[in-house]
Amino acid sequence: MEVTVRIPAVLRPLTGGEESVKASGATVAALIDELESKHPGIKGRLLDAKGVQRHVNIYVGEEDIRFLDGLGTELKAGDEVSIVPAIAGGR
Amino acid sequence: MSGPREHEPALRRKSALVIGVGGLGCPTLMALARSGIGRLVLADDDEVSLSNLHRQLLFDPEDVGKDKAAVASQKLRALDAGLEVELVHSRFLPDNALELARSVDLLVEGADNFATKFLTADAAFLTGRPVVHGAGVRWTSTVFAVGHQGRPCYRCLFEDVPTADVGLNCDEAGVMGPVLGLAGALMADLALSCLLGSCDRQGSIFAYDGKLDRLRRVAVTGRSDCPLCGIRPSIVDIDEARYLAPTCAITQGAPPPNSRREDPWR
Repeated sequence: MEVTVRIPAVLRPLTGGEESVKASGATVAALIDELESKHPGIKGRLLDAKGVQRHVNIYVGEEDIRFLDGLGTELKAGDEVSIVPAIAGGR
Repeated sequence: MSGPREHEPALRRKSALVIGVGGLGCPTLMALARSGIGRLVLADDDEVSLSNLHRQLLFDPEDVGKDKAAVASQKLRALDAGLEVELVHSRFLPDNALELARSVDLLVEGADNFATKFLTADAAFLTGRPVVHGAGVRWTSTVFAVGHQGRPCYRCLFEDVPTADVGLNCDEAGVMGPVLGLAGALMADLALSCLLGSCDRQGSIFAYDGKLDRLRRVAVTGRSDCPLCGIRPSIVDIDEARYLAPTCAITQGAPPPNSRREDPWR
């Protein structure tokens, strides 16, 4: 169930600068657990006690997991998972 | 998009409020002025500083220390003498947001703090104005337009002002000037399409990664429980307390010593 995870620029310090990483998981939740084991600290940047942080969006392909099954969204081999955090810069 | 001459008669009657005359605001303003828009309203109370010049394309070294909006007004009118430019001499704030929004046909927001971003989203929706949001950090930028019907909105995308502690602020993160130039051009293009009627690319978030030279466009789905544009909205007016949260946040973690909780608008 290996998928490609697109890492936004602000989280790349946690992945050694890699913009995409390979990871596995039957669901988005399992995927994030595996990411945390490989890149400690990333889970806390994506989730809080209620689930996905409200200023972070996670997409499987082009679909926001909010409109799928949230963290329970199932993954299949070859999926591309994108993380899009809110950013507020550029002034 | 067709050239300005073809559009100018219709565009000449249109106006836009540009919130933040910075790295995103400058290129957006230049493109709008050159396209023949009739009136631009500039909301910014800052002065030009040397560190702005690499990305704030309206300003030159001799402008350092001068009022940003006033300098921008001069430069924009030099591009189009028939352009009307109004200066707000203030930031876009809860006590002037609705009045400013009502005074124009469209809002463009390139603010560097979440308080202003969410305030802009709310004021645009409550006054029925389309809005183009832009943001940039490091090599990435995002652009998102909300059309006349107000949905999906910025709150469908990012829900609310982050309350988690911030881990990295804009000063620390920095931004590449050309990435903002590209985002500003896209913001102007989306603004023009909404001002001239079609607004056909509203509702999608455009995310550009300048390091990978990759632009992604993802359709945003309106949330039925969105507090602004959802079925039972809880945001029906502008309440300053709603925007009091750390500023300039892009991730959470330990708050940096210079996080500005006391003034969410800076």
